[in-house]
Amino acid sequence: MEKTNEINTISKNNFNDFVDNLIREEKYEVIGVKEKKHRFVFAPLENSDELRLDYDVTILPPKKYFLPQIERLMDFDLSKTFSVKESKPEKNRIIIGVHPYDIIAIEQTDKLYLDSQKDDFYKNRRDNTIIIGSDIQNVSDRSFAASMNTNVTDSGFDLLLTDIGSKYAITVGTKKGKDLLNKYAEIRDARNSDIKKIEKTRNLVSSQYKKEVKIPKEEWSKYLVENYYNTIWESRSDKCLECSSCTMVCPTCFCYDVKDEVSLNLKNGERVRTWDGCLLKDFTKIGSGETFRKDKKDRFRHRFYRKGNYLPERYGFVACVGCGRCGIACLPDIADPCDLINELSKFEKSEDTDKFFIKKETKTPESGTIHVPRRATINKIKSLTERETYFEIELDDKKSLGHQPGQFVEISIFGIGEAPISISSPPSEKPTFELVIRKVGNVTSKLIEMKVGDKVGIRGPFGNGFDLKSMKNKNILFVCAGLGVVPIRSLIKHVCDKNNRKNFKDLTILYGCKEPNEAMFLDELDKIKTIKDVTCKLTVDKCPEGVCWEDEVGVITTLFPKLKLNKSQSKDTIAVVCGPPIVYKFVIQSLKDLDFPDKNILVSLERRMKCGVGKCGHCQINGVYVCKEGPVFNYEKVKNLPEAFE
Amino acid sequence: MKPKVAFFDFSSCEGCQLQIANLEEEVLDLIDIVDVVSFREVMKEHSDDYDIAIIEGSIMRPMDVKRLKKIRENAKILVALGACATIGGINKIRNQWPSEEVKKEVYGDADIKGNKYFDAFQTKALDEVVKVDYYIHGCPINRDEFKHVITSLALGKEPIIPSYPVCVECKKKENICLFEQGKFCLGPITRAGCGAICPTNGSPCEGCRGILKKPEVECVMDILKRYDLTYEELKSKCKLYNYGMEDCK
Repeated sequence: MEKTNEINTISKNNFNDFVDNLIREEKYEVIGVKEKKHRFVFAPLENSDELRLDYDVTILPPKKYFLPQIERLMDFDLSKTFSVKESKPEKNRIIIGVHPYDIIAIEQTDKLYLDSQKDDFYKNRRDNTIIIGSDIQNVSDRSFAASMNTNVTDSGFDLLLTDIGSKYAITVGTKKGKDLLNKYAEIRDARNSDIKKIEKTRNLVSSQYKKEVKIPKEEWSKYLVENYYNTIWESRSDKCLECSSCTMVCPTCFCYDVKDEVSLNLKNGERVRTWDGCLLKDFTKIGSGETFRKDKKDRFRHRFYRKGNYLPERYGFVACVGCGRCGIACLPDIADPCDLINELSKFEKSEDTDKFFIKKETKTPESGTIHVPRRATINKIKSLTERETYFEIELDDKKSLGHQPGQFVEISIFGIGEAPISISSPPSEKPTFELVIRKVGNVTSKLIEMKVGDKVGIRGPFGNGFDLKSMKNKNILFVCAGLGVVPIRSLIKHVCDKNNRKNFKDLTILYGCKEPNEAMFLDELDKIKTIKDVTCKLTVDKCPEGVCWEDEVGVITTLFPKLKLNKSQSKDTIAVVCGPPIVYKFVIQSLKDLDFPDKNILVSLERRMKCGVGKCGHCQINGVYVCKEGPVFNYEKVKNLPEAFE
Repeated sequence: MKPKVAFFDFSSCEGCQLQIANLEEEVLDLIDIVDVVSFREVMKEHSDDYDIAIIEGSIMRPMDVKRLKKIRENAKILVALGACATIGGINKIRNQWPSEEVKKEVYGDADIKGNKYFDAFQTKALDEVVKVDYYIHGCPINRDEFKHVITSLALGKEPIIPSYPVCVECKKKENICLFEQGKFCLGPITRAGCGAICPTNGSPCEGCRGILKKPEVECVMDILKRYDLTYEELKSKCKLYNYGMEDCK
């Protein structure tokens, strides 16, 4: 955005004419702040008389115009094969009266939605919107913007109005803003006395704040890191109704959900994005029904950490602008960050701030859009067990998926939805790849009913795979529990490939599942066993009578003593662990007993990966996005994340 | 093959079925995707061969139990339609008094002894008698939610019924909180999905979609105190649709 420092003035009458001109022109939808009973809202203006620049705060922030409550991402036609059309927001808007704290919140949203893996819908709406900001005239009782330095801003607007008595001063932010003035308004250059009045007005308003946060926002992170286990989270959240009002009204809460809506005739449908909130208990629920951050206290804490630690560490800004909306909206009055931080100020702070965060960025996917899936065809289907089905999928554009072992894709069936699935085949130049599906949720249930030749959508590959470089010239110990064998199979097949085998030393595969009839890929493992320096040990938790099972019986950790691994070998071995959440604690303990250094342990963690691009917020483990920094993590990096192995 | 759907009613005003009849031209879309084999409000025909039973009303008498169990046996999927079926709703108000007392109050000296039609016991929601697979909440139901459930079942996916309170939808509507306006609203503890229709039109939520969970009493007390309300008022408010759920203590 090109910046200018020009300041003009406009008489109040002329300003009203300017607004009326804009409304009459019908080129733009003109949004302004209007009264609703004794409160205020951003809404379409019918005339300039409705505009209330003397408002204190609106019920909802202007984010509703950039991230609508319901955003149609694409339309699909279920009567045709894979017929999908991306929708495009087309409306041009002018929003009048945006306060500085809301402008700053929009700038923060820009970072999230535009900096990496750009969101086209958001970008379109930003490009199509002109922001005419307004300096604050009346301070909301709950706002603490002055102590957050968010009550004034010199960027993020196209034009900014300041009421300086008989007229408005207009600070020009962009050429777009200037052009609008030139075309529709009668303005004059500001005199020095006008410019002085702007400062005076701002200072006067700054002195009217009743609430003040005692810890400068740059320090929030330190207090939060130190007080993760403080009882304050419990005592406050005891009163939480889990209504998520705090996140709904927040200008910097940008988490979303995506779902498919289908018309009653089952012919047409749309994939929509809707607001979601991390205080809601199903926010983290995955297909199998498991939820993370189960406790109300943990969800309550998460919101504050996201604002004061996780996002600051990732993007460099505190994701609270002091508007006070959450304080107004929260019935038990426990959501106000100002109150909470002031309470925290009585406690110690840490010097460390990046404890809950891993700095690691994966490469951006090449595809232009982050929402619309690529078309793919089901090539092969094979039932592996009672619950698991194998699929070979081919991308219709005949390009290779280009994945690394350990990465995942979002598979999509229009009308049903999307689900994250680990890739089970090794990297390949071919346009095909393999998935193993367990019927647990809507998408997987539908998928197993599909036939060869049916079309599905694919997004990805996403995330970080297993770090192959760290395994070079090392022994590898694969620990696969239950479905954990699926992503690890990709790695095993890769390292056992005759072209790659020389890069790795001895390979040991441990594979455990509940019962013999749940074991998968036994024929493959039989073959792999015959490769030089490859050992394979299988176990089942229990073997029902009459079932033939020649290998071990007992939980997976019972295999470790049989490894005959001496402690010095552990240092030269990389352990790769994947399984249901419950196994990590036990497997990692067994590895530690064998003197495995933490950095030699790689784990693949499961969460609700929804968007795949670090935006929707569902897969977070503390400050870490599993979809971006994971699903494969080095244990040393995640072991201190309190939410990793909860 | 289109799934066969049958509608049934027990003690209710049948207003929820009326909501479906009120889909008007969209009814044509509905019968395009399902075979309606029984729907007393709109058709004469009836068949006991159905996949999905959609049931309105509460269970009040032994004969209702018998009939409901029979429907459960016939149906692959059983859907409770509306507050009377999902939570007992208005019909449960009378559970405050023993059934015999209620009957005496209503029928006076009329001779109802041994008459199975008057053999009322304490009101039950459907799931207090049989397994319910899906719930379409509300008094009356929200037509959009009905469409969502029926299309989901036709597509073979689990319908999404909100597990969060009305406040979420009310905030999205940019309503001024009714507590702020001096009204007593059950929105914070009631299941959403109605689009906060009552608060949006100025009426407090009465909890017709069911109380999500009993709020911790300390939490409620704080709020009640702030807005000058009493615990007795909360209890009495919950009784309209959620008798039996009103006591947080």
